[in-house]
Amino acid sequence: MTLSNSTKLDIQNLNAWFCEKHALKNVNVKIPDKEVVAVIGPSGCGKSTFVRCINRMHELIPGAKASGKALLDGVDVYGGMDVMDVRRKIGMVFQKPNPFPNMSVADNVVAGLKLVGTHSKKELAEIAEERLKSVGLWEEIKDELKKSGASLSGGQQQRLCIARALAMNPEVILMDEPTSALDPASTAKLEELVKKLKNEISVVIITHNVSQAARISDMTAFFYLGELVEFDETRNIFEHPKNPLTERYITGRFG
Amino acid sequence: MDILSRRGRERLIKYICLLLTVLAVVPLLWIIGEVVYNGVSAINLEFLTALPAPFGESGGGIGNAILGTLIINAMASLFGIPVGILTGMYLSEYDRTSRLGSAVRTVIESLSGVPSIIFGIFAYSLIVLTVRHYTAIAAAFALGLMMIPLIAKATEESMKIVSNDIREAAIALGVPKWVRTTKIVFSIAKGGILTGCLLAFARISGETAPLLFTSLFSFYWPIGIDQPMASLQVLIYNYAMSGFQNWVIKAWGASLLLVIIVVSINVIVRRFAKPKYKAGV
Repeated sequence: MTLSNSTKLDIQNLNAWFCEKHALKNVNVKIPDKEVVAVIGPSGCGKSTFVRCINRMHELIPGAKASGKALLDGVDVYGGMDVMDVRRKIGMVFQKPNPFPNMSVADNVVAGLKLVGTHSKKELAEIAEERLKSVGLWEEIKDELKKSGASLSGGQQQRLCIARALAMNPEVILMDEPTSALDPASTAKLEELVKKLKNEISVVIITHNVSQAARISDMTAFFYLGELVEFDETRNIFEHPKNPLTERYITGRFG
Repeated sequence: MDILSRRGRERLIKYICLLLTVLAVVPLLWIIGEVVYNGVSAINLEFLTALPAPFGESGGGIGNAILGTLIINAMASLFGIPVGILTGMYLSEYDRTSRLGSAVRTVIESLSGVPSIIFGIFAYSLIVLTVRHYTAIAAAFALGLMMIPLIAKATEESMKIVSNDIREAAIALGVPKWVRTTKIVFSIAKGGILTGCLLAFARISGETAPLLFTSLFSFYWPIGIDQPMASLQVLIYNYAMSGFQNWVIKAWGASLLLVIIVVSINVIVRRFAKPKYKAGV
């Protein structure tokens, strides 16, 4: 089913609850290495819950719990790893850009390393430059590194947040509708960036925009009412969906 | 016509606000003006550095009371600021829902409404009665206790308004909770917390009642924090009611000095704690 690559993240029998509500029902997905997986589905279908189970942020909500396995290179993030390590290896970018307003642009990029690591100032400056280059921000803002991270435009802030996640050297990056607060030009830049990122790592991206999923992803997962309805190569999902629900959703007949 | 009347209403509201602001500020400025007018003539080098002159004699100063107030306020702050900040941090970041949290919240809100003399009596019965003499430690304890609810509330509110998006960003980077609380949320909320601390400091600088039960007064230089200690507040209280002209003028001078101390600490602290970045800039 996968294109050519090996599996990076093997999710088995994943279930999630909010108090009594069964939000995710027995989900099995193999996220391939160095590919982009789009997660689509109508509001409330469990997309966000699914993604937040992968880096164990779901369990932070009072009353929320999860069961099942998520094997990162064969090691279960539920049990086999320290939760802080899970989140360092599986980075996340959110819907609303959320740079730290108390830090400069450069400090934002290396915030995670600065707060928990033991890197020297010189190393941090190098990592900041390298990561700002990899998200295409360096040329735009190299003279504004000392300014507050919150002073950039929305699209720049979102790329800054991606640089911040990349600075931790993650193996997977999760993105929860990263372009929904951005203008079309910033969205296009971010989509280019996502396509470039898969040379390095796996990307799981939630999107409300079906054509965005078609443009940038290799595989697509369609969720409906907490169940994974269909997971296949993006081309197959859009050209020959197996499930009539998938077809109705991608053709815009509901959701 | 409609537009005109709407503009008219806008203006009316604006002028009502202005009028009320003036009404609120005038008495305050009046008080400060009166303090400056009456106090400025008392201030000279001897006033700032000498010990008080005995009753009936001219000259003398309030040096011991200035030093005493600075010592007592510093000790009160060393106790009240950390406890207040940690309490507020606990309420905002560690316990928003439990019974203990809401109990602490209720206690804090009612403590800020308790008359200051109660804090004095509490410190008196706990410390002064135990060691059997008046002591500056008891004064610092009473004033520190008064600071806690003010600072805890300011800290809790300032930290609570830090957006959850920011906390999530830190969580997703694998930053442990205590690091996220101290280096991110606290750091973003610093401005509001600082304001709370300065307000609490100003508040205790004007309190006399708790000191009457604790540090009382001394006509000599402070010799130890476990001894009675002079303070500007008690000096003003004693001198203003003495009816003796030399002392009444010194009470005005001491009041002016108290205002100057509070304002300068405000300015100095704000200067050194200036945030690197204003939110959203």
